Amino acid sequence: MMIAASLVGTILIFYASKWVYAHYQKIWLSPLLICPLILVVVLLATHTSYAQYNSGADLLSKLLGPATVAFAVPMYKNYDLLKKNALAIFASLLIGCAVAIISSLVFALLAGLNNEMVNSLVPRSITTPIAMDISNLIGGEPTMTAVFVIVTGLTGSIVGPLVIRIFRFRRAASKGLLLGMGAHGCGTSKAFEFGELEGTFSSLAMIVAALVSIVLSETFFPYLSKILLS
Amino acid sequence: MLKVLQKALQIIVQIIFIWGFLLIGTWLSAALHIQIPGSIIGLLLLFICLKAHIIKLAWVDAGASFLTGELLLFFVPAAVGVIQYDEIFGIIGIKLIVVIVLGTVVVMASTGVVAERFAKGDVAK
Repeated sequence: MMIAASLVGTILIFYASKWVYAHYQKIWLSPLLICPLILVVVLLATHTSYAQYNSGADLLSKLLGPATVAFAVPMYKNYDLLKKNALAIFASLLIGCAVAIISSLVFALLAGLNNEMVNSLVPRSITTPIAMDISNLIGGEPTMTAVFVIVTGLTGSIVGPLVIRIFRFRRAASKGLLLGMGAHGCGTSKAFEFGELEGTFSSLAMIVAALVSIVLSETFFPYLSKILLS
Repeated sequence: MLKVLQKALQIIVQIIFIWGFLLIGTWLSAALHIQIPGSIIGLLLLFICLKAHIIKLAWVDAGASFLTGELLLFFVPAAVGVIQYDEIFGIIGIKLIVVIVLGTVVVMASTGVVAERFAKGDVAK
C-alpha cells in the first residue's frame, strides 16, 4: 500500500509541479524544488519516515541508470556537431573540472568547514555514483557527497539560466556544456528545456566531466589539497 | 485509446531494452574492476551499437526520449532524502549552501567562457 502510495503520489505531485512551472515560468518554481518540498511536508504531516517513503519511490531513482544510458541516443543523432566541437568540449570541461576542485577547496576553507566536509564537497558537480566513488577515494564521506550532489543539481538548475543570461552566452554548446558540467543530470534536464542541441552537449558534458574528474582527483587534487590543507 | 496504450507499451519495452545495456555495463564494470560506473559503460555500448548499425534508432528512440525527457522526476526521491541529514540545517548548513552556490556559479561561468571561445557550427541565436 505504502509502496504504491509513495510512487503514485510522487508522480502526481511532480506533474502538478511541472504544470505550475510551465504556467508561471518562474525560476524558483522549478519542479525539482517545489515537488520535493511538498513531499517533505506530506511526510512530516503524516509521520512517514524517509525509509517508508523510499520503499516505493526508489523505483524512480533506479530509472536514473537507464536514463543515463539513454543519453547515447541524442549523442548519436548529433554526433557530427559534437565531433566538430571536440576542442570546445574538452577545453571547457577540463577547466570546469579544475575550477570545481579549486573552488570547493578555497570556498570551503574560507567558510571554515572541516577537512572531511571539504573532501565530500569536491566531487559534488558530477553524477552521483562517480561522485561517491571519488569522495571515498579522496577521504570524503560518500553519503554526504550524495546529498551535496543533489543540492548542487538543484542549485545549478536555478542559477544556470542566470549565468547564461548574465554572461550572454549565445551558443548551444556553451549553454549545454556549462549546465552539464555544473549540475550533472539536473543541469542536463534544464538544458533540454533550452533545446535538443543544448541537451545533447549537456549530456556529453556530464559524462566527460565525470571521467575527467576521476583523473584529476588522482593527480591534481592531492597536490592542491597538500598545499591548501597543510 | 488503443494508440495511447500502444505507445505506452512501446516505451516500456524500449526502457527494458535500454536497461539491458545498463546491466551489461554494470557487469563489465565489476568484472573488469574499472572505476567507471555501469551506466556510463552502458551508454558507450549503446552508442557504439547505434553507430555500427547493430541496433536501429527506432528500437530505442521512444524509450530514450521518455527517459531523458522525464529525468527530473528520477531525482525527486534523492532530493526528498536530504531531510535525513541534520548537517544540512543550522549554521554549517548555511555555509555549505553558500559554498555550493558560489562554487556552482564559478564552475558554470568558467566552463561557459571557455566553451563560447572555442565552440563552432551551431546557430548563434
